[in-house]
Amino acid sequence: MLKDVDLCLKEGETLAIVGPSGSGKTTLLGLCAGLDDASAGSVELDGQAIESLDQDARAALRNRLVGFVFQSFQLIPTLTAIENVLVPLELRGESGQGAEAERLLTEVGLGDRLDHYPLQLSGGEQQRVALARAFIHRPKILFADEPTGNLDSGTSGPIVEMLFRLNREAGTALVLVTHDPALAAKARRVVTMSGGTIVSEEENAIF
Amino acid sequence: MPSSKKKPLPRSLWTALFHPWVWRMAWRDSRSQRLRLVIFSLAIVSGIAALTAIHSLKTSVERGIESEAKSLLGSDLRVSSRKEITPEEVDRLAEMASRVSREISFPSMMRFLPEKGARLMQVRGIEGGYPFYGKVETRPVEAWERLQKEGGVLVEPSILDQFSVAVGDRVELGGIQLEILGVVDKPAPRGSRFSGFAPEAYVNLVDIERSGLLGKNSMAGYQVHLEIPDAPGSRELKGKVLEGFPDTRWRMETPENRRENLGKALDFFQKFLGLIALASLALGAIGVAGAVHAHVTRRIQTVGILRCLGCPGNLAFGVYFAQAIALGLLGALIGAGLGICMQTGLLAALGDKLPVSVRPTPEWLVVGQTTAMGFAVCCGFALLPLMKIREISPAVTLRSGATLKGSFLRALPVYGLLLGLLLMVAYGNDPSWKEAFAMVGGMVVAFLVLVGVARGLMAMSRRVVSVRWPYMIRQGISNLHRPGNQTLLFLLSLGLGTFLLVTILSAGKLLNNRLSLQQSEESPNLYLIDVQPDQVAGVKALLAGEELPVLEATPMVTMRIQSIRGVEVGDLKDVPRWVGRREFRSTYRDQLNFTETLIAGELATERADIEDIVPLSLEEKIARDMKVSIGDEITMDVQGIPIRTKVTSIRRVDWSRFNLNFFMVFPPGVLEEAPGFNVVTTRTPTPEASGDLQRKLAGKFANVTVIDLTQILEMIRDILVKISTGVTIMVGFTVLAGLPILIGTLLNGRDVRLKESVLLRTLGASAKQVRRILVIEYATLGFLTALTGVLLAVAANAALATSVFDASPWPDAMLLFTVFGAVMGISVLGGLALSRGVTSHPPLEILRGGS
Repeated sequence: MLKDVDLCLKEGETLAIVGPSGSGKTTLLGLCAGLDDASAGSVELDGQAIESLDQDARAALRNRLVGFVFQSFQLIPTLTAIENVLVPLELRGESGQGAEAERLLTEVGLGDRLDHYPLQLSGGEQQRVALARAFIHRPKILFADEPTGNLDSGTSGPIVEMLFRLNREAGTALVLVTHDPALAAKARRVVTMSGGTIVSEEENAIF
Repeated sequence: MPSSKKKPLPRSLWTALFHPWVWRMAWRDSRSQRLRLVIFSLAIVSGIAALTAIHSLKTSVERGIESEAKSLLGSDLRVSSRKEITPEEVDRLAEMASRVSREISFPSMMRFLPEKGARLMQVRGIEGGYPFYGKVETRPVEAWERLQKEGGVLVEPSILDQFSVAVGDRVELGGIQLEILGVVDKPAPRGSRFSGFAPEAYVNLVDIERSGLLGKNSMAGYQVHLEIPDAPGSRELKGKVLEGFPDTRWRMETPENRRENLGKALDFFQKFLGLIALASLALGAIGVAGAVHAHVTRRIQTVGILRCLGCPGNLAFGVYFAQAIALGLLGALIGAGLGICMQTGLLAALGDKLPVSVRPTPEWLVVGQTTAMGFAVCCGFALLPLMKIREISPAVTLRSGATLKGSFLRALPVYGLLLGLLLMVAYGNDPSWKEAFAMVGGMVVAFLVLVGVARGLMAMSRRVVSVRWPYMIRQGISNLHRPGNQTLLFLLSLGLGTFLLVTILSAGKLLNNRLSLQQSEESPNLYLIDVQPDQVAGVKALLAGEELPVLEATPMVTMRIQSIRGVEVGDLKDVPRWVGRREFRSTYRDQLNFTETLIAGELATERADIEDIVPLSLEEKIARDMKVSIGDEITMDVQGIPIRTKVTSIRRVDWSRFNLNFFMVFPPGVLEEAPGFNVVTTRTPTPEASGDLQRKLAGKFANVTVIDLTQILEMIRDILVKISTGVTIMVGFTVLAGLPILIGTLLNGRDVRLKESVLLRTLGASAKQVRRILVIEYATLGFLTALTGVLLAVAANAALATSVFDASPWPDAMLLFTVFGAVMGISVLGGLALSRGVTSHPPLEILRGGS
């Protein structure tokens, strides 16, 4: 349950949402991405009120503007790494983008594992495929739900680095949900939630 | 980003289905499950095979009938009568025809000379150019022509072998001797039912009159065949004849009737086949629905991801619908292929046993239609779980443990579509909306009852479980209502499967019981017909001399119905016309025989007087057809003399015995003086004894007709054994169709229970404990499923037995117990199989989601 949440994110901005379990972080992320319905209030994405759109229009909006990285990677198990990366473009009806997908996978260090299925990849590799997929269609905003939650510190470091690098290069806004203070510290703004409401908001000095 | 070809993906389902991405994604998605999906597609194979085979068979036979209709009758109109059709009447009939032909036929003993033996033959004397359509084929070719000009006899080829006679030898028929002119390879179209069993002998009409047999023979049939160019429709033609001959009781047949009659002859078997086709298809389709449900459940996360990445609901739905279409098509094609093999194989096996010659070739149009229909039913059933894809939220990517949810209201149009499709299939099997609605209605009732039982079980398991119960029982029973439970799905799929299967097995048994002849030692195998009253003692003495028993010696008097409850039978609107036309052969006696049971009233045992109202006993079904009951008055016309009767008893007769039974039984004292004859029955131990007796009878009592049932029984048994084998194969096929349901049902629950059980194992539960929990859950489900399915089938069986098969409504208890035990056993084994999975999989593999 969320209550009195008022949040605005500018283009290219990075935001970390932190807070204890059950504080409403993931719920907020789901609402912002149009994955869930709010019982009251309004969510605008690129000037469009999500609640006024039906499910298919929301899906189209996500496909145009949004990228996702999930804690549990959420790769389609029956698709190879490159096929997984290409799905957002295919859903846009774009074909002939294999080279771009290959470039992105090479960039995340998986140039030699293009045709591997998710089950044949380690957790870190799966998350890197997810990163490539998140950026392939150049989204305006990227939602990342505990992107390193399932990874050890050795694996998560390069992932985080890649996440922020790609974000910077593409000029994508980033919304991060995390328990990890070190990861949160990399975002420009940090929002802390508790009991379904925002209890504090700070800006990191590094930006 | 380099430039790309951008072609927007379609948003609507129909356009999505034609988009390459949907099919590409469907193909990719099937990667890890292809074998399993192909096995699922086999679910529909048996259903479509049965549908294709049955409809193709029906069409092949109908096509055969259609093409042979005229040559099956040989004329445009056949007028038949038990009384002689006078030359004046024939002349008047001839006025409406371009050609006319007369025929007299009757069964009679024929002796093959010199002393080669005797047997009952159906003697047919034909004069004129009949058949006008089709041709009688003889060896030598000119034999038929010679018969018309010179006289003589033509017999069936087997007769020559049987009696070691040859063309040129002579036979004795009544008082004359005739030369065998040749053999008949293709006979003239037949009219009398009896001719189907006795071999035919063709003679010149003049020779029949010369033989002297006609006067005494009460089984003679008189026919006039007419060739009428540009003949009007059947009804109009008959109306025209009736107008000209209002007082006759002729039976008229046109090619159209012949077509209908032949169709009706197969009707009963077709009804059963229709039931099998519908049930097999429904079983297969339920199997498909279960399998697709299991598949979609495993794909919740994938659909969620696709939705997250911007995939419209229709497109995601389209991916899995495309898979269902492909699998349905594969199953349909295999099914159609199998159906064609069954149809052509069965036709080849039946060969000349069918009433018309049918070429064993595939009926492509029917194959196309039934495959399309079966495919549509398969896709329709697959839609039920597929509809739920549209309800999968993209938010499932954020949290694990999502289950497939559906809205009944949204699925309502799909249920409507399915009902429509099933009705069409049922109507296609048997074009009667009443029966189609009854069949599909039965399924709907079974569906609703099972939903009710499932909901009741869930509600009860929620309430009754007490904390004082041992943990394993508590857990096992609670699983019936907890999230992710499979109660509804299990009861629906396996329950409907059980219901359909038991219904088909019972119907198969009903049909086979009906077909079985139940010939006992008391049943006769030899009928001596036309024994005149003064010959009875002599015939009995002859039998005694041969040491053969006289099983029955019954008088028989022919009569017609004049009026029922004071109304002329022709004026009774609700009584079928044949009741008035029929010639009833009745008897008189004061007791029931061993195949009769009194079901209403009392059998009159006192002698009655013809001047009074005579008590009459009617057979159950004829009473129903005549719409009379105890106390109703019927006036009989006994060869010109009216006799007033009153129905005082109704009997049930077991017609499957070959003893003498009658629709009407009079008390003694009424019919003794009426012209009639006696029938004496006996049982001969060997064909030789039978042949010996027949020879002696032909010598002493030439007019006595002997019907040797041993040969008839063998022929009937041969046909029935083939049909019965067909029934058994078809039932076996339905059992096969039920297997996918079982697999689908068990697979549906597998993933959830496996994960849960592994968790329990991780928390320290022993394999035995896990097994017990699963067995308790599955045994409860199995028990209720089996009980509900079997009880529903008992009801369906009773309805079928009374309304379709005219049999006892009580099902075979053994069958019920067997199926009950099998469903229970399979359910428990399913539970145990799951527990095996728990011990055979490393917990970590399953906990990681790699199961």
